[in-house]
Amino acid sequence: MRRLVTLLLAVFGLAAFGWAFDDDTPAAGEPGGPGLAIKCAKALVVAPDPKDPQVVDRALVLIKDGKIESVVRARDAEIPDGYEVLDVGKNWVMPGLVELHCHVGGTFSINDMVYLTNPGLSTRSDVVPANDSLKVGVAGGVTSVLYIPGSGTNIGGQGILFKTGLEHYEDALIRDPGSMKLAQWGNPESWAMGVTMTFEHWNTRNTIRRGIAYAKRWEAFENGTGPEPERDIQFDIFRSLYKRETTISTHTQLYQVVLMTLTMIARDFQLPVFLDHSTIGGWLTGGMAEELGVPAICGPRSVDTLSRFFISWARNKHEGVRGVAAGYQQMGNTMVGFNTDSPVIPQETLQLQAGMGVRYGFDDSNLEAVRGLTVVPAMTVFIEDQVGCLLPGRDADILVISGHPADPRSSVERVLIEGKKVYDVEEEPRRW
Amino acid sequence: MKSPKSLAAAAAPFLAFLALAAPPAVSFGSIDDDEKKKDDEEEAEEEEEGDKWFAIVGGDVHTGTGAVLRGATVLSKNGKIEEIGYNVFIPEDAETLDAGGYRVYPGLVAVQASSRISRGVFGSAELAADPDHGHDPHASDPLHPDDDWSKAGDTSFGDDSAYEELEEAVEGAADPKDRPDFEHSFDPFSSYLVMALSAGITTADQSGTAAKLKRYEIDGVAMKEKHMDNFSWSSSGRAGLREKFDRASEYLRELAEYEKKKKKDKELKEPDSKGVDSKVRSVLEGKTLAKFSANSREDLLGIARFAQEYGFRPVLQGCREGWTVADELGRAGAYAIVTPRSRRAKDERLVREGGSSIENAAILHRHGVQVAIIPSNTSIDLGGITGRDLLHFPVEAGFAVRGGLSNEAALAGITIIPARLLGVDHRVGTLEVGKDCDAIVTDGDVLHYQTFVQWTVVHGKIVYDKQDELLFHHIRPRPEPEPEAVEEVDVEAPEGGEEEGEEDEEEPEEGEEEEGEGEEEGEGEGEEGDEDGR
Repeated sequence: MRRLVTLLLAVFGLAAFGWAFDDDTPAAGEPGGPGLAIKCAKALVVAPDPKDPQVVDRALVLIKDGKIESVVRARDAEIPDGYEVLDVGKNWVMPGLVELHCHVGGTFSINDMVYLTNPGLSTRSDVVPANDSLKVGVAGGVTSVLYIPGSGTNIGGQGILFKTGLEHYEDALIRDPGSMKLAQWGNPESWAMGVTMTFEHWNTRNTIRRGIAYAKRWEAFENGTGPEPERDIQFDIFRSLYKRETTISTHTQLYQVVLMTLTMIARDFQLPVFLDHSTIGGWLTGGMAEELGVPAICGPRSVDTLSRFFISWARNKHEGVRGVAAGYQQMGNTMVGFNTDSPVIPQETLQLQAGMGVRYGFDDSNLEAVRGLTVVPAMTVFIEDQVGCLLPGRDADILVISGHPADPRSSVERVLIEGKKVYDVEEEPRRW
Repeated sequence: MKSPKSLAAAAAPFLAFLALAAPPAVSFGSIDDDEKKKDDEEEAEEEEEGDKWFAIVGGDVHTGTGAVLRGATVLSKNGKIEEIGYNVFIPEDAETLDAGGYRVYPGLVAVQASSRISRGVFGSAELAADPDHGHDPHASDPLHPDDDWSKAGDTSFGDDSAYEELEEAVEGAADPKDRPDFEHSFDPFSSYLVMALSAGITTADQSGTAAKLKRYEIDGVAMKEKHMDNFSWSSSGRAGLREKFDRASEYLRELAEYEKKKKKDKELKEPDSKGVDSKVRSVLEGKTLAKFSANSREDLLGIARFAQEYGFRPVLQGCREGWTVADELGRAGAYAIVTPRSRRAKDERLVREGGSSIENAAILHRHGVQVAIIPSNTSIDLGGITGRDLLHFPVEAGFAVRGGLSNEAALAGITIIPARLLGVDHRVGTLEVGKDCDAIVTDGDVLHYQTFVQWTVVHGKIVYDKQDELLFHHIRPRPEPEPEAVEEVDVEAPEGGEEEGEEDEEEPEEGEEEEGEGEEEGEGEGEEGDEDGR
């Protein structure tokens, strides 16, 4: 008996040792592993404040325990002892892209049109971490996504924020709820017998008012000035919104509708919100959006088009092809980003959305296009302390890329998420 | 980065106007004018007015043959390139386009393009006779009850049904005589045509016809018809296809034998061509190309071996798994028409490599396959999603570069290789002496996402000027004579207006000839009519 136990222990111990030896030794840069020093031609730091340095040439990027330690000029720094050196030559290093309009995070059971407003539903019940679509997205540089419900109803439910390349939900999750999805026009009309803008807006306002009242009752309870409210999972999300711990991602398009987003949600209800899609004349509100502190995350349409032979839903007469992102920027909005609405256009083409923005007039002279793919969406959903830039302390979600991310010719060569290598073209065929 | 260096370029809008407005030069050889005018009008046009010279001066000329001539001149005579190089003598009466600080490339060639481009909304003669036939003017309006855009899986709002019908009419006609006449269905005022030109496309495959995208005129728009024929590699049709190729090969052998012996043996009968498929015969004679739609490795391999067996070079449309058998395809001398971004999942039951790869174009090219590139939407996408239609043709080539293709090969994939597929590579696809003067002048690398075509030249004439059209003139406008702040990108309606105004004012001074004015007016009217029609 004792022999058997010993034998079992031995086998078990060996197996455990072997397992640890094979997989569990953290690589350089990973939590618990040695440090990683990446030498590169350019490091796009994209600090949240556009006045801070956005780029470091011939840089040395130090990573330890899954976090960024520092980004400095290589000639000004010495590589600390014990750090593994990775020289990526002419390639650039930049933060992983943050995609705020993703529908490919799971099985697509995310558009349940039960009521016209369904704030209690959540995409958390549908996530498939590191699924095939996300893996291709990783090769397109996307490391964080806001996985949101569809826009079949005015409030489709809650989105969650998670990392694309990590296999386990617990590891991948950044925040739940990541947002509440609001869709103001251009889809919810097909609900039930058919509704249009006037009822949609009234009903949305009604739901939000009840939600805020619910949040206030909880606030009173937490402050000791009220009784404990009955828990209502339909309205729980409003507690987070009211505390500004999460935000409202708004499917909004058409000048008049974008105006409703700004006036109703941001100005009247004073809830955190951002414009999503933001197209079809919406850019005319750019100045107002800036005043109210509302970012515009543009896509998948990147232009408003000529009135005569292009669609002209807004009934505003353009005489040329008008860049949407450029429109917001020129109207004064400093928080302009890009999205894909994947699978409407594939997640991996997020980079191109910025390229098309620049093509149609978006000024990229201070790396605004790069910001719009990274730190601007991160700030939009309040996670800029964790992802979206290369400042010290941020997660080491890093791309090694062959050039400017807005250029379709620039190829993502390697992706790290929290220091862990999740994609490397030297080890596997290019996914994208 | 993209702002033109040369101040002289500022005069370009004016020069562009000249090129559009001025009639074929008159001073040249005008001695015989009076006599010849009495003769046939056509002749008069050709000869009396002398040769028409046009020069693109001072640009960095990317010929498409591998050569880059910085600050060189492309001189064209009557639409053909006469000379490319330095110290080129430019005849006095030549129109010139100052391309200093810009790049000059061959016009792009779009194979498999939607026939909407050259047919505008008028369609064929057949469609023109019945304007409502299949075309709903509100088709792209989401508020129109019949068009529930929200349910459409694809977000391109273009309704191609009328054009698809037309293509069927064209391609389905067994007898070429029954086909709608291409030149009569060509709409030289089409806004789609203008947009294609704005994207740098000067030749487009329109239902099998290689069409030169001329503006305001239809003479010579059909360069070549039916250079490619469609063949099916379906599992059920393969045996029949083999029979056809066997029969045609047999016949061609007999015919060759007959040709050899008929002089000696007068009694010899010409071989019977009964049962010989004309399409197959034409392929085997090397007159046309055989195109197969195929994506799977098995199909591609099958076609490659079939083609080698019968001795022809196949065109493989799609070719998504081509990268897994690129060496075989290269040996077969295949052409491939690929969309680098297109996707095909790997068959998970198989161990071998499969599925699509972003490296497809690069790997095929490396193995000697001639790779032509087309975007996923071969029409002009009016829905607002950018970067995947013919308006963004070079972007698709950019994705091939992402997969490892060289910039040069990517450019060939949208110029000379599609020209070969259309059988017009002796005329377009590169800038070479003797070829047609179809060129684009850009403000940067044609494959760069920010680059705009500034001028498009077809047959030695400027047919598109970015600053003269409403499409993109407000985006990074070309510097005016007085240097202005470059970053003023707002809608500057007055600017466009001013420019047009200037032209109008200068017209009487510079036009020198009434005909010139007439032509300019005609153009103006055409444009207006064009837009009002939509």
